[in-house]
Amino acid sequence: MSRFEIYSPEGLRLDGRRWNEVRRFECSINTHAHAADGSSYLEQGNNKIITLVKGPKEPSLRSQANSLKATMDVSVNITRFSKFERSAISHKNERRVLEIQTALLRTFEKNIMLHLYPRTQISIQVHILQQDGGMFASLINGITLALIDAGIAMYDYVSGISIGLFDTTPLLDVNTLEENAMSTVTLGVIGKSEKLSLLSVEDKIPLDRLESVLAIGIAGAHRLRDLMDEELRKHAHKRVIKASTK
Amino acid sequence: MTLSIAEKSYLYDSLTASPSIRPDGRKPHQFRPIEVSTDFLPSSNGSSRIISGDGSECIVSVKAKVIDHTLSDEELIQVDLDIAGERTDSPQVETLMSLLNKVLKSGPGFEHSRLQLTERYSFKIFIDILVISSNCNPASLISFAMFSALNTTTLPKLISSFDDLKVEELPMFDDYDLVNLKLKSPLVFLLAIVGNNLIVDPDANESEVCDNAIIVTWLDGKIRSPIRTLTLNNSYSKGFDPTLLQKGLKLIEENAAAVLTALESS
Amino acid sequence: MSDVISVIKRQSGLKYASIDNDEMENFSSDEDVPMVDIDGKSNGGKRNEAAAGEIVTPGELITEDPIWMRGHGTYFLENSTYSSAAGTISRVNRLLSVIPLKGRYTPETGDHIVGRITDVGNKRWKVDIGGKQHAVLMLGSVNLPGGILRRKSESDELQMRTFLKEGDVLNAEVQSLFQDGSASLHTRSLKYGKLRDGLLIQVPSSLVVRSKNHTHNLPGNVTVLLGVNGFIWLRKTSKMDVARETPSAGPASDISEGPTGAKSLNPTNSVSITRLEEESSWKIYSDKNDPSITPSIRQNISRYANVIKALAFCEIGLTHERIVIGYEASIAYSNIGELIEREVMESIGDDVINIEKMRGNGATE
Repeated sequence: MSRFEIYSPEGLRLDGRRWNEVRRFECSINTHAHAADGSSYLEQGNNKIITLVKGPKEPSLRSQANSLKATMDVSVNITRFSKFERSAISHKNERRVLEIQTALLRTFEKNIMLHLYPRTQISIQVHILQQDGGMFASLINGITLALIDAGIAMYDYVSGISIGLFDTTPLLDVNTLEENAMSTVTLGVIGKSEKLSLLSVEDKIPLDRLESVLAIGIAGAHRLRDLMDEELRKHAHKRVIKASTK
Repeated sequence: MTLSIAEKSYLYDSLTASPSIRPDGRKPHQFRPIEVSTDFLPSSNGSSRIISGDGSECIVSVKAKVIDHTLSDEELIQVDLDIAGERTDSPQVETLMSLLNKVLKSGPGFEHSRLQLTERYSFKIFIDILVISSNCNPASLISFAMFSALNTTTLPKLISSFDDLKVEELPMFDDYDLVNLKLKSPLVFLLAIVGNNLIVDPDANESEVCDNAIIVTWLDGKIRSPIRTLTLNNSYSKGFDPTLLQKGLKLIEENAAAVLTALESS
Repeated sequence: MSDVISVIKRQSGLKYASIDNDEMENFSSDEDVPMVDIDGKSNGGKRNEAAAGEIVTPGELITEDPIWMRGHGTYFLENSTYSSAAGTISRVNRLLSVIPLKGRYTPETGDHIVGRITDVGNKRWKVDIGGKQHAVLMLGSVNLPGGILRRKSESDELQMRTFLKEGDVLNAEVQSLFQDGSASLHTRSLKYGKLRDGLLIQVPSSLVVRSKNHTHNLPGNVTVLLGVNGFIWLRKTSKMDVARETPSAGPASDISEGPTGAKSLNPTNSVSITRLEEESSWKIYSDKNDPSITPSIRQNISRYANVIKALAFCEIGLTHERIVIGYEASIAYSNIGELIEREVMESIGDDVINIEKMRGNGATE
């Protein structure tokens, strides 16, 4: 097995967390007010992600206009320096990136009230400055925050979380080392509900364990939702104060 | 961006007035304020982010790798540029790339010996540039960000011997100690020519109406190559009086040091 | 620090400067602001009722009372009303809506807006007004040279670009809204039309409050057009502008003689500018600026532009009075270029708030 002790008998992980603890989670919104309608900066563990949302706006091509709802596009930019070792090739147009983009599109399509914005386009741009596991989940959180910042109507938060399964123990919010050592599941959870807008299992996982993995995943996602909500309210509160001094 | 004819002529008349009246009231030698952060990417050897008041933003990462320079004579500095929303082979990216490569090769203080570790090994520096948004030509912003990143780049400290041609050993590094790379990269300035006036750091609207523009590279108190002209818009591109070039270079020489000091102290 | 460039260093990693950071302190330290209770709300909406003005976030239950009509920013599910945006609750009569903290301009009928032509199409222009979609200006909704009562002909259709073309800036009124929320504009009044003699700046549309009058003559021979959509045009005050503000009872005032202003009329015509029957000439679509814009007016325009950007930076709503106060406060900085520095912008913002308080016409929101 690996020379690291992924999960010690005392119940500690490599970075000192317990099995059911999420990583440090810090976020801010309205970070790029001049460059986009909505923006967020997210640090989840060592993941650092900038998200920009432009729109709803006039589509750049008339063919993109849909008279019933807004068209959406997502572009994910994994920078070459985002990992510890600089990648020799550009990640643009990589198959994996295209897959992630499509999955993100599907995740948010149902949660945004696209029918309110006919004949418009919503463009989402994500820049990953640094990644350390559970990237897909962090992308979901970053996009949720930026969409809310843009004032785009949504049914609820979508919070992303990834869970690993170490032997029989689910580990919440995995980092790179853990991700490489075990099977992981990524969830996109809607608000405080137990509904999933995304479930992604890319490795083998015993089916009878899936339920416990989902349970801790949903709990973790709810925790992240609360953290995002807290930040959002703090921000909103400051804006309201500012507006009242007008 | 398209401006109306009336806007263009208003801007052009203001900028060509004597002295020039810029739409945001700046002096001809005044740059827009910027905000700098450095050293925020723990997995890179150096990093910086610069945001300009209009929301233009550029992020630079510097990563180093040890290579055996006796085996290949590859460049020890490699630049890579990514502008959000642009293809890597778009004309804008390619022009900027060629400019940046030239800029990094200009002048002393940038020779390979700075990166040489031992007789055999050298550091290879990868400079990755990400332009998240820009409203006008980002060359200047990129060079400022590159400067700040390289200025704060630290590399592991070598503890094995310099002479390793005879003994076959890999360079050894101290576990904790870091040394500053102290590589000063050249600064690039954008100078717009409008009528008989020169203005530094033109914003998006000023770029739309300027007759011509010059890119000037500056390092160590001196103007270096490359110096290039470029057109910032399609409608106004006239030739310019060569005496203006002299004046422009002087303008840069007088003010570049202040920019350098401001960037260094940050 | 030198006057060449100002560099602000941000410590502690990649914190983004937004209103979350330092400049908030300036505001809260010397202000007595009503604290809205935010504690205990973050536990995910286990309450029954949210009061007006309260902050809600997406997915939060607002009310289970079905009596409310649901407006923007809300949705209805299983007899309950939820928020679909982050913002504050507004209750007007029986209409319940959530006003988002931020968002693009949403046009309303009667809005005075400033926009830019992006497209010339079949009997219509597309106008960028900073909204979710471009607005439409129909050929039939503009005044054409040769009298406004004349019929539009086929030749007008063919020469639409000679009236308005891509890039042109104009002010207009929102005439009506389409089903999908996009706006149809008209310029059938002499106060609307192509804009000249100045420059455009953009601020968030939330900072411009709808009011009766959006065109103001400012000290220093500058006129501002505060588009409700956040597009703001600053120009040299024309004779038209002066005439508009002079409550001239008699129709034959000497002001309307030989106008050179932004929307000048036929020079030989000396009837009142308020009469719609007036003949519009080709001049209203001219691209030529007034040749007599002096350097000092240009400098004033630059100064106003910087003052407005400073107020927008401090997120202070824009009114005629505030712009004038800000301008007066800015005179302390003889170099207009200083006004783009962050500290100066903050100090202008503070000055405006304080002076306004002193004059006692503070809460005119």
